[in-house]
Amino acid sequence: MASTSSSTTPAAAEVEERGRKRKRADGAGSTAAGGAEAQPSKWRTRREHEIYSSKLLEAIRLVRAGSSSSSGSGATRGRAVREAADRALAVAARGRTHWSRAILASRRRRFQAVRRARLRAPATPPSRHNAAASAAATGQGSSAPPLAEKARMLGWLVPGCRRLSFPTLLEETTDYIEALQMQVRTMAALAEALSAISANSSSGGAGSSNSSAA
Amino acid sequence: MSSRRSRASVSEEEINELISRLQTLLPNARRRGGSQASTTKLLKETCSYIKSLHREVDDLSDRLSDLMSTMDHNSPGAEIIRSLLR
Repeated sequence: MASTSSSTTPAAAEVEERGRKRKRADGAGSTAAGGAEAQPSKWRTRREHEIYSSKLLEAIRLVRAGSSSSSGSGATRGRAVREAADRALAVAARGRTHWSRAILASRRRRFQAVRRARLRAPATPPSRHNAAASAAATGQGSSAPPLAEKARMLGWLVPGCRRLSFPTLLEETTDYIEALQMQVRTMAALAEALSAISANSSSGGAGSSNSSAA
Repeated sequence: MSSRRSRASVSEEEINELISRLQTLLPNARRRGGSQASTTKLLKETCSYIKSLHREVDDLSDRLSDLMSTMDHNSPGAEIIRSLLR
């Protein structure tokens, strides 16, 4: 299995190592629960995890290059990392799901919207809570059952899924949740490895692999 | 292909299967046989789970961006990180 790690430093190996350990633990459990098609367990394969890790590293590198020139405030950089991670996740989905296409498509729109917002007053996008509250208020009186309300809220949460039919929405949600879980695992492993490195280096032991709880 | 609205729409069985698949993903996957946790409740749990996942990703992004900022200081650890991200 050709793992596409670009560097051979112990740190990189440790990141992959941690990822593999977690994947092994999950892989054993998910093969039993894997559905009829290969799709449900797509996000739990080691291969997918490695692909996403390398994409994530690339994305973070780009963010770093971008932020070194522009404002380096913590909040904007955190959001940039989040968006880069989301985009990497959407790319990893290989365009077969609605939410991944929506993430990739919306980035350009948001970029233009930010540019326009600089000219006018900051236009806040319709916050989920407001929309959900108003919809719930009207939903009770109209013929829409509370089930449809929940389904609509779900459609708001999953990007690009507001107008899908219920079964499609369920499929998208399942895929999205699995992808998010992988995203969280990858980013957590990366953050742990990086903080272990910097903690190690500050205490003087440069590069020693810290085999803390995996 | 995304909207295959036939006359009978999607059979209820398929919907139930999708829902049960979704249920197995949620952290509180109770597998009591045939327990029809009402779909509404399930959807609500799904919504809050997705929101908590979003929050986790946000926290992790902030943490990663802070870690990135440590790279700008000259230390052996920063060297490693920089080579990682090159």
